[in-house]
Amino acid sequence: MSANSTAGPADTRRTTSATAAASGPVETAAPRRGLPRGLAWLVWRRHRTLLRTGLLVTVVGCALFAYQRIGVMDFLHTKGSSPGADGRLLTDFQSNFGPMFNSDTQYLQFLPFVVGVFLGAPLIAGEQERGTIRLVTTQSVSRGRWIAATLGLPLAVAVLCTTLLSAAFTWLWSPAHELVMSGDWLQSGAFESTGPIPVAKTVFLTACGIALGMLIKRVVPAMAATAVFAAATSVIWSEKVRDHLGTLRSVTYPYDGGGPDLPPSSVRIDDWVSTADGKLYGFGTCVNGDTTACRAKLGIVNRVTQYFDYAQMPGMQWLGAGILLALAAVVLALVVWRAHRRPL
Amino acid sequence: MSEPSPWAIEAEGLGKKYRRGWALRDCSFRLPAGHICALVGPNGAGKSTFLSTATRLVQPTTGTLKLFGVPVSDPAVLQRVAFLAQDKPLYPRFTVAETLRLGRELNPRWDQALAERIVRSGNVPFTARIGTLSGGQRTRIAFALAFGKRPELLLLDEPMSDLDPLARHELSGLLMAEAAEHGTTVLMSSHMLSEMEVMCDYLLVLAEGRLRMAGQTEELVPAHLLVTGVASGDDGVPEELRRQHTVVESKVTGRQFTALVRPGGPLSDSWETLSPSMEEVLLAYLRSPDAPTLIADEARIDGGQQEAAA
Repeated sequence: MSANSTAGPADTRRTTSATAAASGPVETAAPRRGLPRGLAWLVWRRHRTLLRTGLLVTVVGCALFAYQRIGVMDFLHTKGSSPGADGRLLTDFQSNFGPMFNSDTQYLQFLPFVVGVFLGAPLIAGEQERGTIRLVTTQSVSRGRWIAATLGLPLAVAVLCTTLLSAAFTWLWSPAHELVMSGDWLQSGAFESTGPIPVAKTVFLTACGIALGMLIKRVVPAMAATAVFAAATSVIWSEKVRDHLGTLRSVTYPYDGGGPDLPPSSVRIDDWVSTADGKLYGFGTCVNGDTTACRAKLGIVNRVTQYFDYAQMPGMQWLGAGILLALAAVVLALVVWRAHRRPL
Repeated sequence: MSEPSPWAIEAEGLGKKYRRGWALRDCSFRLPAGHICALVGPNGAGKSTFLSTATRLVQPTTGTLKLFGVPVSDPAVLQRVAFLAQDKPLYPRFTVAETLRLGRELNPRWDQALAERIVRSGNVPFTARIGTLSGGQRTRIAFALAFGKRPELLLLDEPMSDLDPLARHELSGLLMAEAAEHGTTVLMSSHMLSEMEVMCDYLLVLAEGRLRMAGQTEELVPAHLLVTGVASGDDGVPEELRRQHTVVESKVTGRQFTALVRPGGPLSDSWETLSPSMEEVLLAYLRSPDAPTLIADEARIDGGQQEAAA
């Protein structure tokens, strides 16, 4: 109700001041109002260099991936997309596209880190450090709307850019997934740079950067803290989390027989030896001394290989992304709550 | 909307406690609309805390604060108030025009013509970046942003403290002219007592987080007398003076005493009396935090139902 009653006179005043500025010969301070407006304009104007750079990097990245895909598809059409038994195709692919895929995945894995440190950490810390937070929160807009715009617009741009980049790279990678990094989709970087993972990691690290900045209130220390935090979480992620996102599958085959006969593009995680009723022993059991007698004593007759199937990859990625996004939502809720309750 | 409240500020039992203790305590007063009010007190007296509670930057621990009848807990109060923090925070990379646009985008009652006039009268180019401006020019832009909001109450935290005398004179003139033209109520904290005497017609004195004095200058200042006489008694001030009048501050030099008193009746002829200036009264109160408080009837939150201050 009150919003309606104030909007009317405000609009007429805008138009009158605009006509006054247009008719007078004096220098005018009123540039034409385009989109965005209101708080969105302020947030865009504050971060426009960074956000424009992000959009530009996204366009260039997508174009690069599209260009790279031409060469990859050409290779796959002429030489096939499945590695042969002798591995010649793998070596051939690796020498042609290995370094390219290597730098692509590194770039996409580095992206969440950069966004978290350079966009997330200074987002609120910059306002606190310069005191401009007291300028914007004492205009006519409520703190709730201010924090919504301050968090919403940069996060939306970050999500848009990473989604486009991830989609473009997934489009480049998936036809050749059996050949890239010899088909290792888990540990070599493809897991981190395709599907929802780059987006979720970016949102998570940006949210954590914002929260750290809000607590530290200084831009440079906040960026340093975010960088350390990002490095720590990346270690925890790859050491403790990633391999537990799916259930390992296993294949059992005779101790002295050939194998293992893994499905194509599966990632071998661990090897064991086992008894006939399935009791597992470490791979190094009974390899020294009288190996036959040792095995006979323990009853080891089989070898077991544990692996992740390629079909499990999307499920594992979405589970991991879900965990990261849930954590990011918790962190952002804390930021909003604190912005409401506490003086900043 | 209901008819506008005649009180720009109504504080009732207002208090703010930080971890290190109370920054503001039991603050109850009201400020009638239309005044230029000085908020005076030594550093750490609670001036900035009070201004922060009025601009929703700090939540009071106790009590209520209403601006024009609207409680500060309601975000709608922000439209009626403009605040100029001591360091005048502005975005250094914004141009002057963009800074004014910030005001226009975030305030429904924005007056672009008024803001532009204030900028233009200082010959500040609209295309200049804030970071390249001098202190006086920056303060002018901050004033333009504050007045462009068309506030009913303008809160200023030591607005002139970092300016050279020329800019100070120029901007005080601007402040007085704009406030008079739009009938804006102004509350400003400052250490420049002599300037306050010229500009302000209302006084709020804070010391150690408590309100010491509130009321119109022309009512408060004449309520005091500077008394000089021959020292006697334990601390030099004659018992007679202490009994009948309220001694705010006293000083003994040799055989002579000087005291600032609030006379409780006619003074004896044996003492010489002088009318103090506002600065002298304020200094006396700032030096003696234990002096009895003086709240004018008009500034009392209970409308003078209590008997006047002793």
